[in-house]
Amino acid sequence: MNFIWMLFPTQIDKFWDIAKKGAVVIMSLGRVRVLEALWRLPATRLSASTVCPTVCRPLSSAGARSGPTSPDPQEQAGQVQQRPAKNTSKAMMAYLERATKHEEFMRKQVHEFEIGKRHLANMMGEDPEHFTQEDVDRAIEYLFPTGIFDKKARPKMRHPTEVFPQQKAAQFDATGRPFHTLFYTLKPNFYMTLYELVEKMNQLDRLQAKNDALGKLPDTTQKLSLLGSEWLDIEELGKMLVETLKEPQYQEFVRAMNRLVEHPLAYHHKDFIFKYRKMLRVSNETDTVPELLFDSAGRPYMEATGYRKRAVARAVVHGRGSGRVTVNGLPLVHYFHRDGGRSGNQDVAQVMYPLQVAGVLDSVDVEATVQYDGPTQRYHGKRRRGHRKRTSFVPEPWKRPHPVQAPSSQAGAVRHAVSLALRSFVDKEMQETMRLAGLLTRDVRERERYKPGKKGSRKGRTWKKR
Amino acid sequence: MLALLWLKLTAMCHYKFSTMTRPHKLRIKLHYNQHAMSLYRSAVRLLPACLRVTSRRALVTSSARTKDHDLHLPTPAGPLGTWATLKPRPEKYVDTEADIDPSVTDPLRHPDYFGVRELFTMSDLFDARVHLGHREGSLNPYMAEFLLGSRLGHCVFDLERTAQLLRDALNFTAHIAYRGGIIMFVCRSPQHVHMVERTAMECGEFSHCRHWPPGVFTDSTALFGGVTRLPDLLVLLNTLDTVLEQHGAVKHAAKMLIPTVGVVDSNCDPRLVTYPVPGNDDSTTAVRLYCKLFSEAIRRGKAEREKSAVV
Repeated sequence: MNFIWMLFPTQIDKFWDIAKKGAVVIMSLGRVRVLEALWRLPATRLSASTVCPTVCRPLSSAGARSGPTSPDPQEQAGQVQQRPAKNTSKAMMAYLERATKHEEFMRKQVHEFEIGKRHLANMMGEDPEHFTQEDVDRAIEYLFPTGIFDKKARPKMRHPTEVFPQQKAAQFDATGRPFHTLFYTLKPNFYMTLYELVEKMNQLDRLQAKNDALGKLPDTTQKLSLLGSEWLDIEELGKMLVETLKEPQYQEFVRAMNRLVEHPLAYHHKDFIFKYRKMLRVSNETDTVPELLFDSAGRPYMEATGYRKRAVARAVVHGRGSGRVTVNGLPLVHYFHRDGGRSGNQDVAQVMYPLQVAGVLDSVDVEATVQYDGPTQRYHGKRRRGHRKRTSFVPEPWKRPHPVQAPSSQAGAVRHAVSLALRSFVDKEMQETMRLAGLLTRDVRERERYKPGKKGSRKGRTWKKR
Repeated sequence: MLALLWLKLTAMCHYKFSTMTRPHKLRIKLHYNQHAMSLYRSAVRLLPACLRVTSRRALVTSSARTKDHDLHLPTPAGPLGTWATLKPRPEKYVDTEADIDPSVTDPLRHPDYFGVRELFTMSDLFDARVHLGHREGSLNPYMAEFLLGSRLGHCVFDLERTAQLLRDALNFTAHIAYRGGIIMFVCRSPQHVHMVERTAMECGEFSHCRHWPPGVFTDSTALFGGVTRLPDLLVLLNTLDTVLEQHGAVKHAAKMLIPTVGVVDSNCDPRLVTYPVPGNDDSTTAVRLYCKLFSEAIRRGKAEREKSAVV
C-alpha cells in the first residue's frame, strides 16, 4: 500500500540526502485533504523552493515490504481516495492528523494575510496586485503610528510562514520506523553533529599518524584563524538544528569544537568548523571613508557633520590651505572667546587637536558652522541667603540670553566634524591613529535627567537627622 | 581443544584462594550447572596434584551489597524462567551440527535458523577478554552464578555459560531483525559511544548512547510530540550508567514490555534483562566483538527478510 510523505521546508535537504541513499519513499492513501490544502496555496509561494511545503515522490514498488504486493502505477492514482492501509502505524496516523490540522490552520492564516494585504493596498490607494512586503510595512507605519521604542513591540504584518515556527516533518515512515538513526535521543541533529565531530577528529588523528610515519609536518600556511568570529550562541545553534538545546549540551558542543580546532591538521575541516561560527563585524573596516571632492578651482575639499551633547557642527575642510579656521563666520579665537569666566583656550585647543594629530596645521583651511540647541546644567551651586548675584538655577534655554551657550559642546562638535572630514585627506594608518585618539567617535555622553527628590540628577537634598 | 581452554580458565581461578575470615558477612554459595561441573571434573583430573583443591570456597560478599534488593524480586528462580540459576541446564542443548534436524524449516521452530553459532567461538571470547570481570568487592550477588570463581580478587566469567547465552541473544536479535523490528543499541561508556553509534548506523538500526531522559519510553508521546513507535529490542552493551547506577533503559524497557539483550558485567544486576550476556563490558576489544556479532546477526536477519520478501 502507498503513503504520502509530506515535507516541511526545513527538511528538504535531509529528504534528498535520505532519498539518495535509497530509502523507501511511499505514497500515501487517504488524507486527500492534506494534499488538496497544499495545492491550494498561492502559486507564488509554491514556486519558492525554500517556502514550498510539499515534496511528493511516487512509490518504488521494489521497496514495499509489509502486507500484500504493491499495485501497478496506474492503480496507484485511483487508490488515492481510499482509506489508509490497515498496517499504517498509530504513529503515522497521529502524525497525519497533526499535519492535516496544521495545514488547515496555515491555509486559513495565509488566506487572511492575502485579504489583509489587499485591504491595506486599497486603503493606501495602491495596486493590490503589486503590493510588496515593503509597501505593507510602509502602510502599517503610516496607518498605525507608534511611539514605542522597542522595534519588536511595534505593529507588523508578515507572511504566516515567517510568524509561526517551522515544524519538523514526518520523522518516520508509515510503519512507524524512524528515518534518523539517533531519533530516540530526542535531538538527532545535535547528536549527529557531535558524531561527525568525533569522526573528523579520528580522521585527523589517522592522517597525523600517517604524516608522522612519512616525516611530513602540518602545513603552517593553512593554519586556521578564528579571529573575527565566534561560535554560534545557544539560540542560533538551536535554530540551525531546529532543536532546543540546553546549556550543558551547548557547553559540551563548544568544548568538543574547541578540541577539534586545536588539532594541528584542523584546516582540513575548515568548512565544517566555520558552519558553526559567526563572523563579527568590525565597524572601522565597514565604515567607508568618502573620496575627496574637488571644487571649481581644482582645490580638494571634504564636508562632514559632527555632534557633541546638543550641538551640531558642519565643517568644510579645504586642502592646499594655510591653517585658517573660521567658526560661524568668525575667526576661531574670537568665536570661542568668553568674557569673565573661562578664556576659551580649551575650546580652541579642542578644535585644533585633530589638525595637530594629522599634521595638517598649516596645510588646510577649515570653515565650520555650529548650532547649539538644548539645555546643559540645571543645578549650578548651593543657594546662599544674601547672595543674589549667582543664581543656583540656570533657566531653560528659551529664557536664557542668546547667543553663545555651552561653548565646550560646540567646540566638541566642531572637533568631531573636522576629524571626520580630515579622514579623506590622510592615509589608512593615520586614520587608525585618529580613531585610537578618540577623534572619530561621537561622544554619546548627554546631560543626565533631573529626578524629583534630588537637587539635580544625583545630588540629594540636605539630610536632616530629625 | 575445549579441555585446554578449560584448563586455562580453571587454572586461573583455583591457583590460589583468598582466605577471608569475615565472620559477620553473608556467604553465597556458587551454583554450577551440571554440564560445566562434569567438564570441570574431567579437567581437574589432568591438573597436577599440587593444584587440585578438595573443596570449593564460596565467594564472599559483604552484606552491604544486598542493598540493591530494593526491587523486591523473588529469588532468581522466578518468573523469568529459562536462565533461572537453580535449574540445571537442559540435557538436550543443541550444541553441534548433528543435533539440528534439517527437516525443520519454520524459523521459529528451528533451533538456530540464522546460524549464529558459527559467528564466534569460545576462543574468540577469550581473546577479546570477555571473561574478565571486576573485583570481588563489587560483585553483584545475582551475577555469582555466571562466574567460575575469582583469581587474585578478580572475577572470572564462565565462558561456556556466556557462549550459550550469547548464542541465545544473537539468535533472538536476528529473529527480531527478520521481522522488521526496531533495534536500539545503548552504551554509556564514553570511549565506546562513537563505535556503537557507527555500528548502529551501518546495520541500519538505532542507538541511544547519550544522557537518558526519564520519559523516553514511559512518556514518549509527550517527549516526541506525538504517538511514537518504540524500539522492539534493546541491545545494551553497558547496563550501568556513567555514575555506576543501573541505566534507566533497563527498568523502563521492562515496564514497557520491550525485550532487552544486555551485556552484564560482574557489578551489574541481570534480573531485569531478558537475555543477559555475562561478560566484560569495559574492554574495547570486548565491546568491538559484541558490536561485530550483533551487527552480523542483524544483517543476517535482514538478509533473510529480503530473501523471503522477494521470493
